[in-house]
Amino acid sequence: MELTDWELVRKCQAGEMDAFQELVSRYHQKVYMVVLGLLRQREDAMEVTQETFFRAYRKIGSFQGGSTFYTWIYRIAVNIAIDAQRRQKRNPLDFRDSMDGVLEAQNEVAKDPFSDLRDKELREHLVKAINELTPEHKAVIVLRTIEGLSYRDIGEILGCSEGTVMSRLHYARKKLQDKLRTFL
Amino acid sequence: MKRLKKSLSLVLLFSLVSIAVVVGGEAAEKVPQAVQVTIRTILAGNKSDEFDPKLKDMEAQLKPLKYRSYRSLKDDGQSVPWQGTKSFDIPGGRTLTVVPQEFQNNRIALKVRLTQGDKPVLDTTVRITNKGNFILGGPPHEGGTLVLSISAAAQ
Amino acid sequence: MTRCEDTGKSIGRWLDGELNPAQSAAVCEHMSDCPACGEERRQLEKIETTLRSVLVAESARVELAPLWREVRQRIERKRAWYEGLLERSRELFTAPRAAWAVPVVIALLLGVFSLDSYWPGWRFGASRNSFAAVDSIDAHGRSVALLRENESKTTVIWLYEDQEVENEAAEEESKSSPAF
Repeated sequence: MELTDWELVRKCQAGEMDAFQELVSRYHQKVYMVVLGLLRQREDAMEVTQETFFRAYRKIGSFQGGSTFYTWIYRIAVNIAIDAQRRQKRNPLDFRDSMDGVLEAQNEVAKDPFSDLRDKELREHLVKAINELTPEHKAVIVLRTIEGLSYRDIGEILGCSEGTVMSRLHYARKKLQDKLRTFL
Repeated sequence: MKRLKKSLSLVLLFSLVSIAVVVGGEAAEKVPQAVQVTIRTILAGNKSDEFDPKLKDMEAQLKPLKYRSYRSLKDDGQSVPWQGTKSFDIPGGRTLTVVPQEFQNNRIALKVRLTQGDKPVLDTTVRITNKGNFILGGPPHEGGTLVLSISAAAQ
Repeated sequence: MTRCEDTGKSIGRWLDGELNPAQSAAVCEHMSDCPACGEERRQLEKIETTLRSVLVAESARVELAPLWREVRQRIERKRAWYEGLLERSRELFTAPRAAWAVPVVIALLLGVFSLDSYWPGWRFGASRNSFAAVDSIDAHGRSVALLRENESKTTVIWLYEDQEVENEAAEEESKSSPAF
């Protein structure tokens, strides 16, 4: 029977590295997704993801189950990513190459070539528009979009109230809508 | 973030209060209305080994002059407005005239003139620390030597 | 406020599942009847699905094995002595604490230097004097010495009488000048 996150945490705290590996296995893609949504470079996102799990391991002893494991790990990831984002000085991530590769890999070939082109344009402009949001607005939209986290969970991760999450989401969505209207 | 915001609000309040306290104190010192000038007239000599107890606070300043005795003759303090003139009687028919000039960087600039009768003996402009002093000595008097401690404190 | 304005504000929350059943039903009903609100919903959903597809596609490329290898290396790597110290100080001096510490230190320093305004005469250390600066001096032809006594930080202006007076002073067995 699959162990719960909390059971795995307790095993980690007892020194079982395998338990921590299982937690990494469960959450590495989700953490990477959140971090990538906040940062611009793939390499930076990978670096921050590794750092997130490293710090989580160091701090696992202090995790007492007051929150769920995923909000705890996301909080670590978001804090590191926001710090990294503030130091970042590079150009925005160019998703075009990766999207082509992904489309081929997933065999997504639209019947309507114009529809395919519009989607491609939407993706490119969406990435650009997301990168133009502030770190705080980017964080709420990414956490909500990827994980479908509740306002309460997002507030816990970001250290703000549910009302703040709601207003930031509303603002971020309005901004994205305004910038992407012609592609939607 | 909420905790940080709360902490920062309290910190801001604390800083504002601290700044108000400090600025209030500084403001009081920044605009002195007048200067309290004090002249202590001391007779230094070698005829005895007396050290006047009244001069205890000045012992460190007087001992290096290497006289054997020090006696306080008079203490005279007066409030002098900036650019105002005040004269102090000094034994031996002398007069010490003091003009506070300006207050800058916690220092008081004093123009000082020592006259013997109506003859100028010394003119000097000295900047002393607020509430500090300097020594003017050398004029002979009654077998000893006059030592004047000139101090000023902004009011 | 019109029904559209009300619904427009609530579509996001409806998408996020943050409305209660009654509110949710009201929003749904309006969106099905109102082309503008229906279009609003479609656009927000499209943004969300596109963003998710981009990020999911990207994250699918992340392989566990190399990531885990890297994380494990970091865990097992012997840290340089200062790294532990840095991490500890980072944890100790968190943003809220640092936010407190900086103005507290500044306020303390300012307060200490301003104490004299409230307690005149208070000073660091025993001596409150420092050397007076002599801007100008004119002894009207007499000799004058400018001396500094280091221990008490005292400036001394010493007037020397002219020769005739000195001879008289010598006869009286009094010293007219200090020994230093």
